[in-house]
Amino acid sequence: MEPLDHHKGENPRILFFLWITLLLAAILVAGLAWRQLIDRDAYEVIEKRQTERRILKPGPRGDIYDRRGRLLVGNRPHYSAVVYLDDLRPEFRSHYSKVLREERARLEEVFVNTPTEERPDALPHPNYKQLQWKARQAVVQKYLDQINAITGREDRLTESRLIRHFNENLLLPLPLVRDLTPDQYAQLIEQIPPPPRSPIQIHTDTARYYPYRELAAHLLGYVQNKNLKPEEYPNDGIKTFAFQKKVGRSGLEAYFNETLSGTTGRELWRVDPLGFQDTRLELNAPQQGQSLNISIDIDLQRAAETALGDRAGAAVALDVHTGEVLALVSHPTYNQNHLSPFIPQNTFDAINETGAWLNRALQLSYPPGSTFKLLTAIAGMRHGSIDPETTHNCGGVYRVGNRVFRCHASGGHGPVQLADAIEGSCNVFFYAEGLSMGIDVLSAEAQRFGFHEKTGIELPYATKRNIVPSKKWKREATGSGWVPGDTANTAIGQGFLLATPLRMACFTASLARNETRTQPSILAQPPQHKNSIDHGGEALGLSPRQRALLWQGMERVTGRRGTGRLVGIDDFRIAGKTGTADFRAHGKEVNLAWFVGFAPVENPQIAVAVMVEGTEESQQYHGGSTAGPIAKDLFLEFIKRYPERAGKAPSSRSSTAK
Amino acid sequence: MAKLRLERLKPLVALAAFLFLWWIIPATVKSFTRLTFAEFHAPAWLVTAKIDQLSEFWAARNHSKIDLLETGRDLARTNARYQVMAQRYQSLEEEITRLENLLTLPPQREYHHEIARVIRRDLNAWWQHLLIRKGRDYQIPVGAAVIFSGGVVGRVAEVYAYTSRVELITSPRFRMAASFEGDSRPVVYQGRIQSGFVSPRGEVSDVPQDLLTTSRNPLNLVSTHLGGTCPPGLKIGVVSWLAPGSTGIFQTGAVELDDRLHTLKEVTVLIPLITNDFNRDAN
Repeated sequence: MEPLDHHKGENPRILFFLWITLLLAAILVAGLAWRQLIDRDAYEVIEKRQTERRILKPGPRGDIYDRRGRLLVGNRPHYSAVVYLDDLRPEFRSHYSKVLREERARLEEVFVNTPTEERPDALPHPNYKQLQWKARQAVVQKYLDQINAITGREDRLTESRLIRHFNENLLLPLPLVRDLTPDQYAQLIEQIPPPPRSPIQIHTDTARYYPYRELAAHLLGYVQNKNLKPEEYPNDGIKTFAFQKKVGRSGLEAYFNETLSGTTGRELWRVDPLGFQDTRLELNAPQQGQSLNISIDIDLQRAAETALGDRAGAAVALDVHTGEVLALVSHPTYNQNHLSPFIPQNTFDAINETGAWLNRALQLSYPPGSTFKLLTAIAGMRHGSIDPETTHNCGGVYRVGNRVFRCHASGGHGPVQLADAIEGSCNVFFYAEGLSMGIDVLSAEAQRFGFHEKTGIELPYATKRNIVPSKKWKREATGSGWVPGDTANTAIGQGFLLATPLRMACFTASLARNETRTQPSILAQPPQHKNSIDHGGEALGLSPRQRALLWQGMERVTGRRGTGRLVGIDDFRIAGKTGTADFRAHGKEVNLAWFVGFAPVENPQIAVAVMVEGTEESQQYHGGSTAGPIAKDLFLEFIKRYPERAGKAPSSRSSTAK
Repeated sequence: MAKLRLERLKPLVALAAFLFLWWIIPATVKSFTRLTFAEFHAPAWLVTAKIDQLSEFWAARNHSKIDLLETGRDLARTNARYQVMAQRYQSLEEEITRLENLLTLPPQREYHHEIARVIRRDLNAWWQHLLIRKGRDYQIPVGAAVIFSGGVVGRVAEVYAYTSRVELITSPRFRMAASFEGDSRPVVYQGRIQSGFVSPRGEVSDVPQDLLTTSRNPLNLVSTHLGGTCPPGLKIGVVSWLAPGSTGIFQTGAVELDDRLHTLKEVTVLIPLITNDFNRDAN
């Protein structure tokens, strides 16, 4: 008989405990099965949250090309030297031990040297946390010093930057030096051994690159580094780190931000309990964004920008048929490369001071001055008050009630008809005609051309301040009633009337096409669409004779005796109108010089609007002499680049100015 | 029985004792041992190389007079060609100097050439080294570029009294800045683990997207002056395949290197006449 055999199946107390044990074991097994088999998914999620980290890397932005395929905005390599803090952990530890030893020795020395009565009861403890950061900073700075020695730079790493990176972006590399020059990049590549022999990695990213520097700066826009939006993070509970994304802030970069933005790449890492990366589980490479082909011709753009020079103003050139923007200039401007990869504060301040952030072609509206007389003329002809024989005698002044309105020709133009009035920009003719037709007619005509609306161009921040004054508008805006003097002012493009240079270009293109609206577009239109573009609006509503009369006046503007004679080009017929307006800006009364026109008259292809803004009261700007030559340079460049459209055989390109 | 067990444990005890000793000896001794390892071995490697040369010499003595005459004739032709090239080179150098003076350009970095025989090749998957028969005795500096008639060989990694260790461009630990012929933008060349049965290869990364290559029109990868080690234009290899990299904007590709790299007998070390002043080129 075995020693314990006498208990077998006999003792009820044993049986009781046996059943209890079996029950507990069953509960344990059932609990385990529940967690392993039923609750498996929930635990898997928790395990993932604890052990996996995701890194999001936005894809590079798409390129922007001009209408002839020249790169206007691209991506350039942006080199930086980085370290992954994970790689430095052994050094952090050993250096921490060293600084801790030193600190303990120092405290002990202080303790010993302190007089007994002032001495604390026990040796004080070092500040472990502070020493840990000090050690980490020293290690990272050691590598930064290596880079400094090779490149000749003097970069320093602050403790606060290190702490911020440690707390917020531990899985991402810590940039030691950003925006290395190609020389510095090459030097580091050769002087610093590749990992694992050195923890320093040379990181290549992209920054926006503008090969034409300040050309078309307002049109193209710029980007800024931004953190990804919360909705761009996958919502699966896995902790996600993300590199900053480049987001368009102005111009095309902003308007077409979604198109240009690349697809964000993803990396999934398994991390250790301290959060440092261990194994890469997944990699989806980022993809570059789509490219844009825009309608700008950079040669025309350059010609306009060069002609505008240091003066403030805007110039717009449109394709008459398609409404494609061939050039869109705003000055003062800035070099966009100075804003990439980030905007330094002093650069921002300098641009701010000159007012260069504003795109004067569409973000600011101005009184169009005498260029508006074309619309007054159309309104008069449609209203029936102006015909070829309509004549007014200009004596240099025109009296409206108690107010005297002046013509720019102090001696007067004498008897003038419509074509003469346009050629010599006679104010008196248009005062009389404006008053004859009344503001309601004039205002309705301006609205027919869309002067009260935005142009709808694919660019952000276009001004809403497009004012076509009317009796109702004045009452609502100023609380006072309409007076005849307001009509006289409006008829010559002054007073409350405000329009952007882009609107004036659209108006000119519409005129050239014998329509009321032009839908400007910054995108290059595919050739098959060019003949089927619907600009909206309606036909101009002038008889062929009336239109010929208007065009005759406009062509005479650039003729030998016209106000825009400086625009004239041999064997190239230009129809235009100059304008000089008074404008209050920067707290001063300044001049605005305008020129609008299209060419060639026999088959209009290009419409131009130029506005130069005076910045000092002493500057005497005039439409013909200030804005005109800029328009002329645009026309000359157009002839050079598109001789067939300009009606010039390629062999007879050598046009000379009158 | 117990004695037998103790006998079996002897090697393990010896190993443990050695490891313990190695653990407790001062770091300076360890460092000295490591540093002098190559110096102690150098005479043996030199002797081996001399013996090889001697055997080659005796093998050459067996050539017939006809062979020698033909070789002599070929050599005379080669010499004549090189004399013409040397004259051309001289006139080009003068022209460069004249243009530099005219444009007030800083002079190009100049090098002193030191030709050295290869006495040992240490080639494996993890590193690829050559040992050359010149060291501190010829003022060879660490980091100097090493070249041969086919282009870049590598960089001097360590210098001993009479020998130097050269890291070959095939070595995974070797990295240098490079550029493509006719394009000044810098790219990164790095060696990689070599397979024993195919031509040596390396990798190129950070290649701009607009560079295209095919097996019919491969791109030549050459050295650039930007890094400061090599003179510009020395051939590194040929790239006939590029693929998009993980950044989404740059390409990476394989570089086919010169087959002769692993059988070199003589190389040239380029010793800069002035110490590397890396900022000079940048300014």
